[in-house]
Amino acid sequence: MTIDELKRYNGQNGARAYIAYKSVVYDVTNSPFWKNGDHVGEHTAGVDLTSALSNAPHGDEVFKEFAVVGKLEGSEQISLVTQTPKTQEHQNDSHELFKSKLKTWYKKYHPHPAAVHFPIALHLFAAGMDILFLITLNEAYNAGVFYSFFIATVMGLVAMVPGILSWWINYNFSMQRAFVVKLIVASITLLLGVVAIYIYYENPHVAYEHSFQGILYHAIVLVTGLNVIILGYYGGKITWGYGRYQTLTEDSKKVLNITKHESAVSHHSASQSISILIGGAAGTGIATLEKILSGAFKKNGFYIFSTKEYMSRVRGGSNTTLIRISDAPIEAPCWKVDICIALDSLALEHMQERWHENTIVFADEAFSEKKTNMILVAMKDSAKKFGNAKYANTYIAGVLFGALRLDKSSLLENIAEHFKDDDVNRDVAESGYEEGMKLENITLPKLPKSDLEGVKKLHLMDGTTASGFGFLAGGCNMVTAYPMSPSTGVLNFMADMSKHLSIAVEQSEDEIASLNMVLGGWYSGARAMTTTSGGGFALMGEALSLSGMTETPAVIYLAQRPGPATGLPTRSEQGDLNMALYSGHGSFPRIVLAPGSLRECIDYGYLAFEMADKYQSPVIILSDQYLADSISMIEKVEFSSYEQRSYIVQSTEGYVRYEDTKNGISPRTVPGFGKGLICAVGDEHDERGQITEDYKMREKMVAKRARKNDELTAEAIAPEISGDGDIAIIGWGSTRGAICESLEYLNNPRLSHVHFAWVHPLGKEQLKSLERFKYRIVVENNADGAFANQLKLYDVKIDNQILQSNGFSFFVDQLSIMIEKSVKELS
Amino acid sequence: MSSLFDKENVDIAWCPGCGNFGILKLIREVLEELEVDKKTCVIVSGIGQAAKTPYYIDVNMFGVLHGRALPVATAVKLGNPNLCVVAEGGDGDMYGEGGNHFIHTIRRNVDIVHIVHNNMVYGLTKGQASPTSQKGFVTKVQVGGVVNEPFNPLAVALSLKAGFVSRVNIGDPLHAKEVLKAAFRHHGYALVDILQPCPTFNSTNTHHWFKENSYVLDDTYESSDFHGALQKAFEFSPMPLGIIYQDKSIRDIFERSIRGEDAKPLHAMTHDVSKIQDLFNRY
Repeated sequence: MTIDELKRYNGQNGARAYIAYKSVVYDVTNSPFWKNGDHVGEHTAGVDLTSALSNAPHGDEVFKEFAVVGKLEGSEQISLVTQTPKTQEHQNDSHELFKSKLKTWYKKYHPHPAAVHFPIALHLFAAGMDILFLITLNEAYNAGVFYSFFIATVMGLVAMVPGILSWWINYNFSMQRAFVVKLIVASITLLLGVVAIYIYYENPHVAYEHSFQGILYHAIVLVTGLNVIILGYYGGKITWGYGRYQTLTEDSKKVLNITKHESAVSHHSASQSISILIGGAAGTGIATLEKILSGAFKKNGFYIFSTKEYMSRVRGGSNTTLIRISDAPIEAPCWKVDICIALDSLALEHMQERWHENTIVFADEAFSEKKTNMILVAMKDSAKKFGNAKYANTYIAGVLFGALRLDKSSLLENIAEHFKDDDVNRDVAESGYEEGMKLENITLPKLPKSDLEGVKKLHLMDGTTASGFGFLAGGCNMVTAYPMSPSTGVLNFMADMSKHLSIAVEQSEDEIASLNMVLGGWYSGARAMTTTSGGGFALMGEALSLSGMTETPAVIYLAQRPGPATGLPTRSEQGDLNMALYSGHGSFPRIVLAPGSLRECIDYGYLAFEMADKYQSPVIILSDQYLADSISMIEKVEFSSYEQRSYIVQSTEGYVRYEDTKNGISPRTVPGFGKGLICAVGDEHDERGQITEDYKMREKMVAKRARKNDELTAEAIAPEISGDGDIAIIGWGSTRGAICESLEYLNNPRLSHVHFAWVHPLGKEQLKSLERFKYRIVVENNADGAFANQLKLYDVKIDNQILQSNGFSFFVDQLSIMIEKSVKELS
Repeated sequence: MSSLFDKENVDIAWCPGCGNFGILKLIREVLEELEVDKKTCVIVSGIGQAAKTPYYIDVNMFGVLHGRALPVATAVKLGNPNLCVVAEGGDGDMYGEGGNHFIHTIRRNVDIVHIVHNNMVYGLTKGQASPTSQKGFVTKVQVGGVVNEPFNPLAVALSLKAGFVSRVNIGDPLHAKEVLKAAFRHHGYALVDILQPCPTFNSTNTHHWFKENSYVLDDTYESSDFHGALQKAFEFSPMPLGIIYQDKSIRDIFERSIRGEDAKPLHAMTHDVSKIQDLFNRY
């Protein structure tokens, strides 16, 4: 049975109800829990529920009761889910194994929900009886109150233990509001319970007395009744989720403290790394080679970073991919390389300037002569023996692994994963490996120390993918965009994700339509975004302004490339900051974020949607070709920690869209949700949304929009500062990894790294930490020093600037020299 | 006479004798007679005198940029397919500034009603030629008269296989109402081009001129015949009025194709976090 066939068995209109779990299809038609194909209002029949089960209050034991009716075809992806590296990891980790065993046990018996109803019922019973007692003063009630209260308190303790267990195994001691409230209220209830029992034990007649003890006793009995209602309410919220109808409460005004996450790349240095540069024409498979090698290196326990530079063409030219392997996390490229692999003569020439005196070069004997440090391999000829010169890339991967004496199976496994039905590639790689083993009398760089355990816990992905996951965490469910390098990756990613999640994706006719569609989407309740690069964003200026005036949220992923005009379409630059800050006519609040690591891509992708929704303003996420296309490693991310809040309120009759509130944020609703009507307009308007030219109203609305800016400036995230030195090396966005590693390399205690991921708006509060520095040097991947100029506007003194706008991002070795020189100029 | 869709305390910004008054009345009456629920109806309009119409109707509205009503309306419908969505504006707004969106909205076949006030002149910018101005029409900018071929919205819509293409004259409100109602009932994109006079800036195409230069298609006209319709769309003096073309067969509708048949409003949905976690863990 295929997934499409399965869809027909949805249990509706007399159809049978089938569901799939781990590739097996079960018939649930007769189950009372699956009437008409509906399961507790959460799931429908006719679908694969493998991934949904982890969230269910029961385990997979429930499937035992159902008849198996077939196997689900084409479910490789699903079987992958069940064999994620996560489970493999856990087997090596006794702590995690214990936890996962506990989890299974918990799912089977769910002790907390089983126990928790007793104290709830009994506390309520006691409170009810006490009210009756207070009315009637009947001793039978009084005794009933005490005994039920006593048992309720004991059972409360019994329920708390599995509750805390569940908090640990299922929610990793999450500090979300519901858990904190439950913990506090439950502890208070228990404490009060002990106090009341003690009072009664000391004097059983206390219930009749008007003394302090008497009043306290009754108060406790009644208050604990209220407490258990609160406990039950939050228990329900934890089990069934918050839903999107949550209104804006004081608590949800706080931004999630996303700075608490540590990036995989922190300031601890790599003592040994090797850099490998592979060059070839577009279409010769260097992208494939990058994937296969990085995956195989990861299996060998190395930390990986890889990046590519390519020409704006589909075939031909000369492109390179750089792979760095290391014994500690790294997130930056280097210019000079240790190993160089040329797939053709053009590449050989193109890469020459990146060799240092000991670089080992692999080239094909067909186009190169033997030189010192050069290893000639018959790549093409050997590949042709297998039927096609195209196999040259796989062949050289084998040679490299052989020469480095690395584990062959890891490479073959990755090749098998990559070329699913093509066994020839495997044979080619094996043959290359044998050839590599034969290479002697060459001094290849020393391999970094392998850290199998550490690396296994990490995920390998590029900035595009991480950004995409950030937007998913932020609840993005509509993407309207026009393709443009280097932003297209996110559009592709979200379209691919729409196969698994409910995301409406549309390729617009132009970028003008893209952002206008985003606004239409938010108007009717979507969390919409667009993806673009500089040229496309230039076309969005007017709609950006409309977002500001109509106070309609918008999220724009702007992946920069060098301009002006078409510029260098496939290369990198941080050249669009000014445009992000100033595009759009008129003045209105906006937020500009610039993540600099995979972790920040996720955090700030999430934050973009929260901020847009909360402040009803446009949010621009600045990425660039370098960040989008570079692959590095990220620790496991717990997506349950990104709370998707809804800022949409249910409207009442007489609702006005632009209510003049204290903080400038007017409650936002969507058509059909409540009794009100929404008039959102791009003309200046009154509170109703009616066009006005009254100057007093204009002043009022200008002030209202400005107040939103004050409010969100207060929430701005201060820069991340590493080091205690008195010289600040200041960067923003994608320069994070390169500056970080350069400072490690320079090892000068006077240098500190200041990294801004929240770029705009900033306030005095966020910039206070810059006051302590004697010198401030700003590093930017552009020619105009736009960020330094921003800092100057905030009265931050800038002593020196390091700028680069040649189409490359910063290389660690070059940047180190630039920083050293810049520091020397100052002191 | 007051109706359910009248809006209180509004200052109407049109010149006396403007054709927009008739269109405003027409839309209010159609919404009321079709028993449209105002809470789930959204009118998206661009910029121009025509685009001010929804400000005077008691309904949800989104007043956007010049030329951009269609992409906004498209996404409003995509976000919540249960809404009744109308895009409204003038000839300059929809056929000039928003020309590209006009083409692609038809291609998408979004289930919206597209109302275009066509007075063959720019009103709000004071009297320049519009895409539908006739050749020889003299203005402050086109001082020697318009030389460009007038834009033919019906023929363009037909060539893109629009499922509902119509033209009415606001000088004949009863006929206009009948056609507009049919447009609301149509499943898929429906174009209603409404001829209207501009007494201030267009002294050529007056009430009288429209009456003299148009005729209502009678019952014998077969609106389901595509090739016949294409021919009708090119008739100019006199211009045919009525439903030029309607395809009543079931066609793919944009928002249904993307969101599925019984799509819930997106504001009522959240992603399954465990699914995102699973997808992430695959990397």
